[in-house]
Amino acid sequence: MDRSIIHLNIADFAAAVETNLAPALQGYPFIIAPLGAPRAVVYDMSDEAYQQGVRKGMPLSRATRLNRKIRLLPPRFNRYEQVMKDLLKESLAFTPLIESGTLDGHIFMDVTGSERLFGPSADVAFKLKKAFKRSFNFDPIWSVATNKLVAKVATRIVKPVGEVIVPPGNEQDFLAPLPIHLIPGLIKTDLTRLAEFNLFFVSQARTLTLDQLRGAFHQRAGLIYNRIRGLDPTPIQTLRKSGSPLKAEHEFVDDTNELGLLRSALYGLVEKICRALRNQNRLWTAAKIVLSYSDGLQRTTALKLSPPVSTDMAAFKSCLVLLDRAWTRRVRIRHMRLICERSGPAQIQATLFSQDTKATKQTTLMRTMDMIRSRFGNNAITPALTLEGEKRAS
Amino acid sequence: MIPLNTRSHYSFMWGTGSIKSLCRRAKALGYDRIALTDTDNLCGMWQFIRACRRSSLTPVIGAEITDPHTSHRAVCLVKDHIGYRNLARLITRRHTDKGFSLKTDLPGLAHGLTVLTKNPDLLLFWHENGVDLAVNLTRHPLSRHHPLSVTARHLDIPMVATPGSFFLNPEDAKIHRMLRAIDRNTCLSRLTPVDAAPDTAFLASPHAYREKFAIQRSAIHNTHVLGEKLNFQGPDFGIVMPPLKGKTTACTAEKILYEKTLAGAKIRYGEILTHRVIQRIHHELAIIRQKNFCEYFLVVQRIVKRASRICGRGSGAASIVAYCLGITNVCPIKHNLYFERFLNPERTDPPDIDIDFAWDERDDILDWVLDEFRGHAAMVSSHILFQPRMAVRETARVFGLPEMEIGKVSKRLPWFWRINEAPDDLLNRIRVRPEFRFMDFPQPWPDIMAYAQAIIGTPRTLSVHPGGIVITPGPINTYVPVQTAPKGVPIIQWDKDGAEAAGLVKIDLLGNRSLGVIRDSIESVRQSSGKFDDFNTLDPEDDHDTRQTVAQGHTMGCFYIESPAMRLLQKKTRVGDFEHLVIHSSIIRPAANTFIQDYIQRLHTGVWKPIHPLLESVLDETFGIMVFQEDVSRVAVKVAGFTHAAADGLRKIISKKDRETELADYHDRFEQGALAKGVRPADVKVIWDMIASFSGYSFCKPHSASYARVSFQAAYLKTHYPAQFMAAVISNQGGFYSTFAYVSEARRLKVKILAPDVNLSGIQWKGENLRLRVGLMAIRDLSAKTMAAIVEQRRSKKFTDLEDFFARVNPRENEARALIQSGSLDTLDRSNNRAGLLWSLAAWQNKKKTADRQPSLFDPIASGPGIPDLPAENTVERLRREFFVLGFLCNCHPILLFKEILQEFNTVKAIHLPRFINKKVIFAGWLITGKVVKTRHGDPMKFLTFEDETGIVETVFFPKPYALFCHMLDYGKPYLIYGKPDSNWGAVTLVVEKTRSVPSLPGRSTG
Repeated sequence: MDRSIIHLNIADFAAAVETNLAPALQGYPFIIAPLGAPRAVVYDMSDEAYQQGVRKGMPLSRATRLNRKIRLLPPRFNRYEQVMKDLLKESLAFTPLIESGTLDGHIFMDVTGSERLFGPSADVAFKLKKAFKRSFNFDPIWSVATNKLVAKVATRIVKPVGEVIVPPGNEQDFLAPLPIHLIPGLIKTDLTRLAEFNLFFVSQARTLTLDQLRGAFHQRAGLIYNRIRGLDPTPIQTLRKSGSPLKAEHEFVDDTNELGLLRSALYGLVEKICRALRNQNRLWTAAKIVLSYSDGLQRTTALKLSPPVSTDMAAFKSCLVLLDRAWTRRVRIRHMRLICERSGPAQIQATLFSQDTKATKQTTLMRTMDMIRSRFGNNAITPALTLEGEKRAS
Repeated sequence: MIPLNTRSHYSFMWGTGSIKSLCRRAKALGYDRIALTDTDNLCGMWQFIRACRRSSLTPVIGAEITDPHTSHRAVCLVKDHIGYRNLARLITRRHTDKGFSLKTDLPGLAHGLTVLTKNPDLLLFWHENGVDLAVNLTRHPLSRHHPLSVTARHLDIPMVATPGSFFLNPEDAKIHRMLRAIDRNTCLSRLTPVDAAPDTAFLASPHAYREKFAIQRSAIHNTHVLGEKLNFQGPDFGIVMPPLKGKTTACTAEKILYEKTLAGAKIRYGEILTHRVIQRIHHELAIIRQKNFCEYFLVVQRIVKRASRICGRGSGAASIVAYCLGITNVCPIKHNLYFERFLNPERTDPPDIDIDFAWDERDDILDWVLDEFRGHAAMVSSHILFQPRMAVRETARVFGLPEMEIGKVSKRLPWFWRINEAPDDLLNRIRVRPEFRFMDFPQPWPDIMAYAQAIIGTPRTLSVHPGGIVITPGPINTYVPVQTAPKGVPIIQWDKDGAEAAGLVKIDLLGNRSLGVIRDSIESVRQSSGKFDDFNTLDPEDDHDTRQTVAQGHTMGCFYIESPAMRLLQKKTRVGDFEHLVIHSSIIRPAANTFIQDYIQRLHTGVWKPIHPLLESVLDETFGIMVFQEDVSRVAVKVAGFTHAAADGLRKIISKKDRETELADYHDRFEQGALAKGVRPADVKVIWDMIASFSGYSFCKPHSASYARVSFQAAYLKTHYPAQFMAAVISNQGGFYSTFAYVSEARRLKVKILAPDVNLSGIQWKGENLRLRVGLMAIRDLSAKTMAAIVEQRRSKKFTDLEDFFARVNPRENEARALIQSGSLDTLDRSNNRAGLLWSLAAWQNKKKTADRQPSLFDPIASGPGIPDLPAENTVERLRREFFVLGFLCNCHPILLFKEILQEFNTVKAIHLPRFINKKVIFAGWLITGKVVKTRHGDPMKFLTFEDETGIVETVFFPKPYALFCHMLDYGKPYLIYGKPDSNWGAVTLVVEKTRSVPSLPGRSTG
């Protein structure tokens, strides 16, 4: 049976949210980026700003040079998160099979089984579009196809506004005339090589058999073969199914290579993960850190935490080693991600006698801090180490 | 208090203050005696001695020696000449002996030295070995119970207070930390305490030390006692000449020189020597003998004998002895060259002989010299200082900025900003420069610029001088510390100025690409036609066609006369004889533009009169204009009554950097002298301005003549054997222009460019019968190993198909791709579609990977499905790729690809520009070279050279258009130039009003 996948895409999501919050922005170019930071990069921009050459990730100084009078807005991630949650809530009324990105305005829905309840998939998409317009004043692009790949290509070709329905069986015809770079999943080296073979359009690449593709693309051949034929069996990854590991991340508003700031940010990340672990009554056994440098390179290192810990101080000590190993270049760091790769159950059996060790003292301190935070909010108590980062940020 | 342990910026990447500022600061703080103890070197010794003299300080010579394997260190202060020699040997051993141990090596070389240390173990050990010791108390007193104090008391060794300084002022600590971060390849926040000196390591006042050591006054007293004993103020070697091997009492150097000169003269002038020649030889030999230079000449002659061809440059080319010995190639009698410019009885400083060798033979010659005089020879070093560009780059790296962001700023910094010219306020001066008009400088750029400003001029490392070598009679490490350069050759720690100050006579053995070009062209012609048994006997300056080539400025590729400025001068003067070329190659100086115009006018009209009657006959040869270096001396003698020695001093100082004070003195003397001789003040100014135009670089006549000879040889080969010559020019690389420009020039000479081919191309380019085969060396990314493999494999059997080629050569992926895109493999495939070749490559690689991973007993690379039927190639895309890997196109000039686009602009071709003098035109050209200069008012402007398929066009961007368009001009693409052609003595230049890029060719994805 053919599946019915809807793809909804709210173009320039953060900018769209901001326009809703301040309708006066409608029709004007504006940029969303951290303010007051000399080395900030563009987080998102309105379509008008895009037309003027502004792009995501562009240094803010360069973007503002394109239009000296362009309006700048600080990002409000909590707002975007809230709006995204509301959108998903609205969508969940039609199907539980929903997949979405992080604050990017993309929603995939599998409505294969809900036709009898809500009508044909195109109707569902149309209803949702109207609902988004009514409730949030968004005008999403939408498409309906038999899989995520074709649905995504469909929204790509009509961006920034429009709708596309690709009927079952029409996938190949639909993709045939399109430039090959529109096909998701093909990496840069695939595209470069295809261009070298004078293959610029899907129809041109499709003349090759799988065997022939294997000759030139080896292990990537199968993927390319399927993708250019619009074959994508991957299911919708619902929110509940994804058992992703605990992680925390920090984006440096001004990229930095100052030890103090990095330590401060790291401690903040360790705090977040440790608190979540304590809530789950688990101990941290393996950690991974991903540093993203300002020039785009990434460096990842992992470490086994022995013995397993759940207190911030003990975990921070191990994570400092991790940071030192990953931080091998002088280039500034823009983003830091800390991941709890593995965790194990906490020790349940308490010792018979009270032990006044450093570890027990730290555990008590953590428990107390957790209590204060749960009652008075996260910012009610702050370790001094994280103050440096906050001070610089302010 | 006497500061016995101070460091200058010659303590590489640790110290911050220059030697001059150190001495100035010491004097200002009230010191009258100071020791410079840079770490492991005496690099700044001569500067230090000079600076002390200027600041009325008494210098104490010394160095701090470190142990590379432990944390041991010691400050060695020189007491006498023996101590100096020992210190030089100790430093040499520190740098050259891998097993060097400070503890055990020092005692053997401690005679004549006083050693300061703060290590109790070393103190004890060295005391037992009889070393003259003192305890080094850096910056603060020591408790009586400290092990060092106890040991010193026990051994009765004095304790002395020293500053142990790394910088001059407390606020310099952050500059010190910046240097350390650069050196450690880290950022400021990750410097550990052992990586940098403490913030207190600055040079404080005597009063501050007295206060600090108030509880240990004896330390200050001991410092005085020790300091007063150190009276050695620098070595005095006299003039140190290279020694001659094989001389005996019966066979002295003088006799050998005389015999060799006469034998050489017979080869040069024939068996019967004229009276004039003999007289000149005797005259020169008398002076050479008097100045004790016989051995020097003979040593140089032994060196040049080993080369295929050489070009003696500098004033040495004025010597008939050098000419007879084969050291130079121009006859000083024929070309009227004065020997006294090179050597005269009054001259006190040692002149040096400079010799050019073919660039690829030079290293072998150097190796031979270093081997022949092992232990007595080393190359002169270059002190690499932080120039503005390097300072900005390195500082920005410490601040963690990505390379791309740094490159955007550093590549726009003006190339002419050298240390002395970098403006005080770097950031603000950069902001107003036109190149930066579209750039912002948010934080941390202001901080980066401030730091960069502070470290400009700081020595970074020692490098090898391009060709200077010194040979000493005694072991060289008793004159100067020697270390090994990264390329493996021994280098002395002094640069050329230091070597000169020490009296070490330097021989310059330099690499010259054009000698390689001439050698290869001759060889190529000889192989194909058997001509040129002895090219040196040919007189190319007498060849009519060659003279025409030179007179018309068609000299692209010819040594020294190929620059746009020189070619324009040739076109304007329209003369192509040897004597004028000697003048032209000397008059082209940065500051001589106005005089060049006067020269051309006088040359064409023949009308001129000297500025002052005193100058009559002095400058007749050059129409009353000072052209050669020696003209400065001759004018100074004639007009201002200078002695020959003083006039020579003026000539030398004028081309030096950092000369303002001395030059002002000379100016005053010149003015007074000239006024006294009745020259009017206005004329004095005109003459002095002409003298001042010799600043920067300038040549003496022998040097120009020597170069002109090589220029003519090159021009001769270009005129008669263009394909062979252009092949040699491109193969030897490093000419004034890019390969692209030389390929275009070859095309203009009616030479057909043949695409590279793995079955036909050599590594180098090959020219024959007006056909030029592209060499494999032109292909981007192709390694020397792969090139060699291609040539080697082909020798046994030609490549039959792609699989055969890949299997036998086994190129890396990027190499194979470059070979395909360059067209080198086109003949191995008949489909005329390079996409198919690329497909075969990908398939071959995948099979290879599989075979490597899963070794099979049978055929490891079995053939899979054949090449599919791929879409036809887009011609533009094919040529775009070809251009990317070759840097030029084989079949046509790339501007022809824009033919249709250019039609709507109604452009004028280069060849037709002379028809449109002073009329507005649009010219479409490819940028090939350019030069930024400053106007008289200091505004930047640019001379850019463009070309199309019909010719070269020199353009002028005056300051206004330069400011508007400089940021968008880049190499490797075409531009539309809007302007008016201007004619100056028949040479046409295009004065630019505006420019823009030619619109792009159709996009890549159009199939």
